[in-house]
Amino acid sequence: MSSLQDRVAAVPGAFSRALRRSREFVAETDPVALAVVGIMTVSLLGALVGFLLVSALTAVPFVVFLASAAYGWVFHQGLTARALTFAMTVSTILILLLIIVFIFAESVPMIRYESATVFGVSVPGLRMFIQPNWDAVSPPIRYSMVPMIHGTVMVTIIATMVAGPLGVAAALFLSEIAPPAVRETVKPGVEILAGIPSIVYGFIGFTLLGPWASDKFDILGQGTYLFVGIVVGMMALPTVVSVAEDALAAVPESMKSGSLAIGTTDWQTMTSITLPAAISGVSAAVLLGVGRAIGETMAATVMLRGVPRLTEPIYNVFYGQETLTSLIARNYGEADGLQMDALFVAGVILFVTVLAISIVSQYIEWRMRRKLGGEA
Amino acid sequence: MATDSRTALVAGDTSGTDAVAAVAVGVAAVVFATAAAAMFGIVSLTDTILGVDVLLALGGLLVVLGVAVVSFGVGSRLGYVETQPRSSAGLVAGLAFTAIWFVTGGLVASQTLGLGTAGWLAVALGFGAVAFGISTFTREDVGSTIPAGAITVFAGLVFLLGVIDASWAWNLQWEQKASFTAEVAIPGLTLFCALVSGWASAKAYGGFGARGRHAGAYLLIYMNALAIIAVLFGLVAFTAVKGFPGLTRGFEVGLGVGPTTTLEYFLHLPFLDVAPGFSFSFDWPFYLPFAMNGVGLLNDFNGVLPAIVGTIWLVVGASLFAIPLGVGAAVFLTEYAERGRFTQVVEIATNGLWSTPSIVFGLFGFAFLVPRFGGNKSLLAGMLTLGFMLLPLVLITSREAMLAVPDEYRDASAALGVSQWQTIKSVVVPASIPGIVTGVILGVGRIAGETAPLLLTMAGGTFVPGGQTVDVIGGFAFQASPPFVTNPELLQATSALPYQLWALIAAGVGQSSNIGDAEAFKWATALILLIVVLGFYAIGIAMRQYFRRKIQS
Repeated sequence: MSSLQDRVAAVPGAFSRALRRSREFVAETDPVALAVVGIMTVSLLGALVGFLLVSALTAVPFVVFLASAAYGWVFHQGLTARALTFAMTVSTILILLLIIVFIFAESVPMIRYESATVFGVSVPGLRMFIQPNWDAVSPPIRYSMVPMIHGTVMVTIIATMVAGPLGVAAALFLSEIAPPAVRETVKPGVEILAGIPSIVYGFIGFTLLGPWASDKFDILGQGTYLFVGIVVGMMALPTVVSVAEDALAAVPESMKSGSLAIGTTDWQTMTSITLPAAISGVSAAVLLGVGRAIGETMAATVMLRGVPRLTEPIYNVFYGQETLTSLIARNYGEADGLQMDALFVAGVILFVTVLAISIVSQYIEWRMRRKLGGEA
Repeated sequence: MATDSRTALVAGDTSGTDAVAAVAVGVAAVVFATAAAAMFGIVSLTDTILGVDVLLALGGLLVVLGVAVVSFGVGSRLGYVETQPRSSAGLVAGLAFTAIWFVTGGLVASQTLGLGTAGWLAVALGFGAVAFGISTFTREDVGSTIPAGAITVFAGLVFLLGVIDASWAWNLQWEQKASFTAEVAIPGLTLFCALVSGWASAKAYGGFGARGRHAGAYLLIYMNALAIIAVLFGLVAFTAVKGFPGLTRGFEVGLGVGPTTTLEYFLHLPFLDVAPGFSFSFDWPFYLPFAMNGVGLLNDFNGVLPAIVGTIWLVVGASLFAIPLGVGAAVFLTEYAERGRFTQVVEIATNGLWSTPSIVFGLFGFAFLVPRFGGNKSLLAGMLTLGFMLLPLVLITSREAMLAVPDEYRDASAALGVSQWQTIKSVVVPASIPGIVTGVILGVGRIAGETAPLLLTMAGGTFVPGGQTVDVIGGFAFQASPPFVTNPELLQATSALPYQLWALIAAGVGQSSNIGDAEAFKWATALILLIVVLGFYAIGIAMRQYFRRKIQS
């Protein structure tokens, strides 16, 4: 690990190297091609700025871009292709940045409104997390995120208890146990499970599971965190299975064979060699499943009650009120002004949580790949 | 992995006991199936099977099962049965049994005997400690069978003695009331005991030791895989059965029964009166009103044609946006960029986009796209939002496909003096087309079923008249001033299948009388959505299978 000073010192070096390389590149390349790429770049940036500013003239630079790209494609295909694919790559980062900027910007008024004073210091947004009342109609108007966070946590815990163990077991089955013929039928089956639209899951849960649960558990009304969690767990299952299976398959065959050669059973090899070696990848899989469960919207919206309040007692899984996702999906219609901003706050919480989970699981996977000496 | 087989010489003298253990596994399977049937109301607890109450039959079978499991373990300990047990059942099994017996003891003490918190805690701890002692400190054959068999016998006795009968209910006394009723407690308990005993018998069948653990674990893992497939099959079959009547209402086959479709194209040239072109119309040889009609007062049968067309256009629009972008970015990342900071950031961004919740994409579309397309929710905003969701899927799968192209191909091409772009265009991309296409189809299948982003960006009506079917191609108009191309069809809301299903659910049953049987209409919508989405998946998976086989051969 290089120290901070080293890195700071390395920056000018890298910069001058990049400068020299680009100078060489400019010297070697046909000036007409360079001009075309320059026009493409400028016009595309212009179109982007125009679009961001909601300008009616956005189309002008975009047409210039299309024309220059077409000219470049015909006469300088290599360089144009390179510039185009680079722009496409940048666009993925750009989209993520735009998502961050726009949902954060929309949530700012709400965060200002729900400021709370702690020790004489006003902390923006704090009141959304320290009191549990959501009341958008009668004063005092309060937008608390606590009931929805509670709901999301309940659903996610239950979903993880379903998707985690079952998913890892299914991944073991697919990667280590199943004979090829069985594998070829179960694997597409798991994928199709991921393909069933969440609204269909929700519909079946709403018409079938909901009334059944109300009857069997003697619940008032319909909508339980327990069954929403189970349904969401089923929807997160395919994610866990496919990522965990990849992790198990990444364990070198020589390790498994070495174990089997000293006379262990398949199961012993799995529990003492394969699983421990792949444990970080498997936990990344479960984490990604958790991310899916947090973000699941339609099944929760259809199956829950839609009343933003805590269950009583707080661990009562037989009543399902509202999650962060279902809050947005249910209230976007009549919401405007401050309430709409509150929905954006829910979106920000979801986005930040899931992005953090995604980054952590990527880091875990990267470490595992490095440890097993694979590529990267 | 290597499969082990026993020779006749080794297996010979254990075949009798194998049979006993196999019978126990069989009994466990019967109990499991009966309890599952009771859980889902296929048989009632008060029914009789072969003259015996279901409840009594379950109790009796549980006792038999538990006794079999226990006697096998004891028999093995006393040396009547030849096995290869280890010295202990292990910590994992020990902790599991401790937890089971802790809960059992606690429930018996607090609910049946009515002890207070201190009392039930003491009893629960005592039960847990005994279970832990038996399962951890005795030899494996005893340690893994007695706690399992005992809980099964105990449950069976509870049913047989009527402590829990068909009218039993345990009110949890919570502020928001909930109770465990017999209808869920009895099947649930039975399923659990059948699983535990089934595991113990499978272990016994394997003769304990390493091989026994192998058998026990495999039983559970196979059950899990079976359950996943059963759930999948159940979901699809259930939707199909419920949706089929609504889908096929008014279905007719025969020449000329369907609606008339006209395909025409005329080239309007300036300064000429004649417009060369063709016109061709035909009648569909079948009539499926649900997929060919909208909703109208005068319709004999109502349908969801506008939603189907809307979904098709959404998918087309999202694909046109995401596929070039995703494939291009994948080309840059695999072929041009050197691995480093930049590619790392792109990778993190892509995976971040992949895991971003769909409703957040909806919020983003609402805040970013809707104000830029005239301030209304529109088809175009829906297309682009779904395109944003599709982009990471396309990028990830295309990148994998391009990384899988062997470097020899690139080297061979470079050795011929071909430029890098020529190599990409004529070697790398063609070689990775199968992977890209498969990934795209699977991704499209996923976005075709997405509802949440559409709520905020596109919306549409609950019951859409056939006249509102979107006509994107006919909507294009060109003009000389910016923005040069306009298309009002793209800038207005239309319906899509997943959105329509949501709207039908949210609107409640029987809201509109002109729909006829609202319930059948909903299920038919769900079925047609499932057909569209699973159609994409089926094509994608079949293509992957085909290409894989082609590569292997």
